[in-house]
Amino acid sequence: MRWFSGSRTPAEVAPPPGHRSPALKAILDDISPGSRVAVLDLGPPLAGNIKMLSALSCRVRIADLHRSLSAEPVESRRPEAMGALYERLLPLAPDERFDALLAWDTFDYLRPDQVSSLMAWLTPACREEALALVLASTRPQIPTRPLHYRIVDRESLAYDGPSEPVRPCPRYGPHDLARLMPGFSVRRSLLLRSGTQEFLLARRADEGAARGQEAGVAASAPAGRSWFRRGRL
Amino acid sequence: MWNKREDEPVRPPAPQAAPSPVGVAVRREPAAIGPSISIVGDVTGEEDLTILGKVQGKVELPQHSVTVGESGRVDADIRAKIVSVAGEVHGNLLAGEQILIRKTATMLGNLTAPRVGLEDGCRFRGTVDMETPPDKGRPAAPATARAPVPSKPAGPAGQPTDSPGSGVTAKPEGSLTRP
Repeated sequence: MRWFSGSRTPAEVAPPPGHRSPALKAILDDISPGSRVAVLDLGPPLAGNIKMLSALSCRVRIADLHRSLSAEPVESRRPEAMGALYERLLPLAPDERFDALLAWDTFDYLRPDQVSSLMAWLTPACREEALALVLASTRPQIPTRPLHYRIVDRESLAYDGPSEPVRPCPRYGPHDLARLMPGFSVRRSLLLRSGTQEFLLARRADEGAARGQEAGVAASAPAGRSWFRRGRL
Repeated sequence: MWNKREDEPVRPPAPQAAPSPVGVAVRREPAAIGPSISIVGDVTGEEDLTILGKVQGKVELPQHSVTVGESGRVDADIRAKIVSVAGEVHGNLLAGEQILIRKTATMLGNLTAPRVGLEDGCRFRGTVDMETPPDKGRPAAPATARAPVPSKPAGPAGQPTDSPGSGVTAKPEGSLTRP
């Protein structure tokens, strides 16, 4: 008779917003059972996500990039300083390789030069054909900080966080991502009802990295790294 | 009731064995490094440890649990059976059973244990590796770069813990041992 009493809380009435995520499904399907897969999560530490990925034998690296960058002084976030900043905030071991990158909506909170230098730092650490999930809003404004995306199941995401749109959105499209992530190519994109576009990208073999070097964005990438070593951890 | 004899003596219940002093000794409070205590050097021992102060060096209690309280600050790798962090740790954690990062925690480093729990709201940067229990001598998460703020090398003499009678040992350049 609970429905009759009218004592339900709003949380019981409305489940948290979310969406079906083909990109997440593609990434999780790519993880073969029992293999040791390394996942880089640029978002904050969320217990459910770590539990889910760990259950799939993943090694999960949490970057919590937005919070880390927000804590830095403005001068250290100048375009020319970003390479050194990522090197400090997201140190990579010489033999560290990732099979998947979960960027969520982090890029929406970075300038184009910040995305470019971030990917110049990370791309060499991504294995060939590593998959990346990127969410980019197409709306003119976005909330003040990134949402928390929670993995509900293999193909569903829920999200929570501030809902008031208060800051301008860079509105990255597929061409922007292709330019800012030269080592990756867009494999699939999907415009969601919420106005967010979900991208699944895959690490290219070699020409993408070469383009990145030509563009000068790979200058801050760690030296002496074997870019194309295959295999799992 | 029906066959009860009036002349049957009433037998008192058998006296229960008094708790052995050995049992009492096992249940003693965990050793604690109090909020005002700083230790520079390695900490080893054979009992549970709660850290409310500061430790720089290495903490090794492979058969016991280590709890870093909200006021605790550890610049060190911690190796224990169970590690629980509510304070601040800059270093790698390696646990034989479980690691728990509370929502009040700030944790920079890698976590290696069969079970790892992170409460939403905690500050964490590093790698979570829930592979099978690591070997005794294996370093935590070898393939990953260390946390941005690595533990500092051991400095001058360490400070004592504030729990007399504990089995925890601090080994700085000199050494401090509790009996």
